[in-house]
Amino acid sequence: MSTDSQTFTEKYDLLGCIQCGRCTGGCPVTVRADLNVRQFVNNAYFEEKLDELARLAEIWDCTACHTCAVRCPKGLKPLEVLIGLRSMIVESGKVEPTVRDALQSVLLEGNPWEKAKATRTDWMEGLDVKTVGPGEPVENLFFVCCTIAYDPRVQAVAKNMVKLLNKAGIDYGFIAEDETCCGSEVFALGEEGLFEMLVEDSTEYLNEFTAERIVTLSPHCFTTYNAHYPDLKSPVIHYTQLLDSLVAEGKISWKGDLEKKVVFHDPCYLGKQGGVFDEPRRLLKSIPGVELLEFDRSRERSLCCEGGGGKMWVESEAHGERLAETRIKDARELGSEIVAVACPFCVLTLEDALKGLGYEEEMRVAEIMELLGEFVEEQ
Amino acid sequence: MKTFVCIKYVPDTSEAEVKVNPDGITVDQSRFSFDINDADNYAVEESVLIKEDKGGEVTVLSIGPKQSEVMIRMAMAKGCDQAVRVEDDRIAAHDPLMVARVLAGSIKGQEFDLVLTGCYAADDGHMATGVALAEELGVNHASMVNKVEVLDGKVKVHRELEGGLAEVVEIELPAVLTIQTGGNEPRYAPIRGIRQAQKKELNVVGLDDLGIDPAEVGVDASQVVLEQLYIPEIEAKAEFIEGEPEEKAEKLASILVKGGLL
Repeated sequence: MSTDSQTFTEKYDLLGCIQCGRCTGGCPVTVRADLNVRQFVNNAYFEEKLDELARLAEIWDCTACHTCAVRCPKGLKPLEVLIGLRSMIVESGKVEPTVRDALQSVLLEGNPWEKAKATRTDWMEGLDVKTVGPGEPVENLFFVCCTIAYDPRVQAVAKNMVKLLNKAGIDYGFIAEDETCCGSEVFALGEEGLFEMLVEDSTEYLNEFTAERIVTLSPHCFTTYNAHYPDLKSPVIHYTQLLDSLVAEGKISWKGDLEKKVVFHDPCYLGKQGGVFDEPRRLLKSIPGVELLEFDRSRERSLCCEGGGGKMWVESEAHGERLAETRIKDARELGSEIVAVACPFCVLTLEDALKGLGYEEEMRVAEIMELLGEFVEEQ
Repeated sequence: MKTFVCIKYVPDTSEAEVKVNPDGITVDQSRFSFDINDADNYAVEESVLIKEDKGGEVTVLSIGPKQSEVMIRMAMAKGCDQAVRVEDDRIAAHDPLMVARVLAGSIKGQEFDLVLTGCYAADDGHMATGVALAEELGVNHASMVNKVEVLDGKVKVHRELEGGLAEVVEIELPAVLTIQTGGNEPRYAPIRGIRQAQKKELNVVGLDDLGIDPAEVGVDASQVVLEQLYIPEIEAKAEFIEGEPEEKAEKLASILVKGGLL
């Protein structure tokens, strides 16, 4: 049940649905799971059925990629019906231990990875990082993201960004230990109360900064701030947007020659949800020697890697090939040597798939910042 | 059923770098994250499951700092009814017997059927507090419990022994049970539940409020003296065996035989 005075039907505008089925037709996880989102929207009209629906395992298969929302002719967000059902389970407390621990870690430590808050800035060690506090004027206020801050595999995104900014002499500042989870995955896992608290607290905290813009390293933070934090004072952009404009203005350039065939995988939270398609492509093309390839399923049709929607903490009962494996196979067929992404979750899921398939010798997955970092080094 | 559940706020040292302070008997805690002790979390869940099945009420009992209240509120969000937090610098907290005396002093004079606590604290690892608490209260106990069945005036419990053995015992109530991990699945405390739990009673008390003589639970009463904490030196070494598979197997076998392992 929805916890406010709205009924479930009102909250998710279920009567707006015409049951056309484009949501299920477009849903990428249907190839490997029994999830039928249209049917959930249909069955959720009946309030008495909600408890039963919420107990179905399929509600945890959704990756919150938003394909259903992009394709809905009525402008609805069918996936949020599934998130609403997840909320009912979360409120009962009977969630998977992995989900429980991730959510509790966000509350206690400000990140879903069960890491101590005090170690959030350990990645900065040995780097000349400018940090800013509330009130200090700064042009570009950088928001790192929990995954990039704590996961050694993707810390290079932040480290290379610092090197690049220092070389280019850009006015920037990072938030230190007080940076707290944006709540992207908290929202998707259905912990409404915790998400509301994060929105309230982080809006207040981030508004204390005097920043021309907030630049996020992860598209999850980027989309979450833009979609769910209406009262933020500073505009929020993704780093590919900032770097794209800096390249266009001639403020940064790359040396060296990559000489590789690169295909860009559109992260769902950057493309479908954030509407950012061209900037990462222009950025990749600006690297000397890059031959940029395109997936058949690109831009709004990009295939989800299954890393979002809280799926980092939920192993679904899905069967068949992981979508990340399909994606890597598609990339190999194109002849690409590098699968470039701009999202920490995509790095982790696609790289796992690539290793699982045994393609490490012939290709690799790289965050755009990893590629750029190699050229900053050589400048 | 009237149950007390004793819980402890402990640092997570599973991945953290542990540094001993210059005093040699304390640890630098500035970079740790803190949470409910794992086994105590199972004890909370067990207490709530018993309440849901048999009715009654559950009181959370904890000795710890103000920061630990978030852990206590979480336990109340899960279904515990009220809580007592004891905070007093005079308690010799490194000695499980002194801790047990304070816990017993907080319970004595009140009716109870069960006292649950984790079987083991992740920070000091004594595995002694629960059993000492039973002694102090003068009641029965069972340790390492991973299944509880409430009967009339008694409980039937499964105790986890070494080597995969289980012991099933029936004990008369009131009793203390020390709960092993894995016997249930601790639930999540949603934030709305935690907010609602703010309305539940949480009493903060010191030794004087409990009528406990500080001399009986302080450093002078304790027979345990914490002399030194240190990080053990790493003495293990790794040897890489080279060669063809047959050679490698032969070398490995000879190392194991020489070492007395085969």
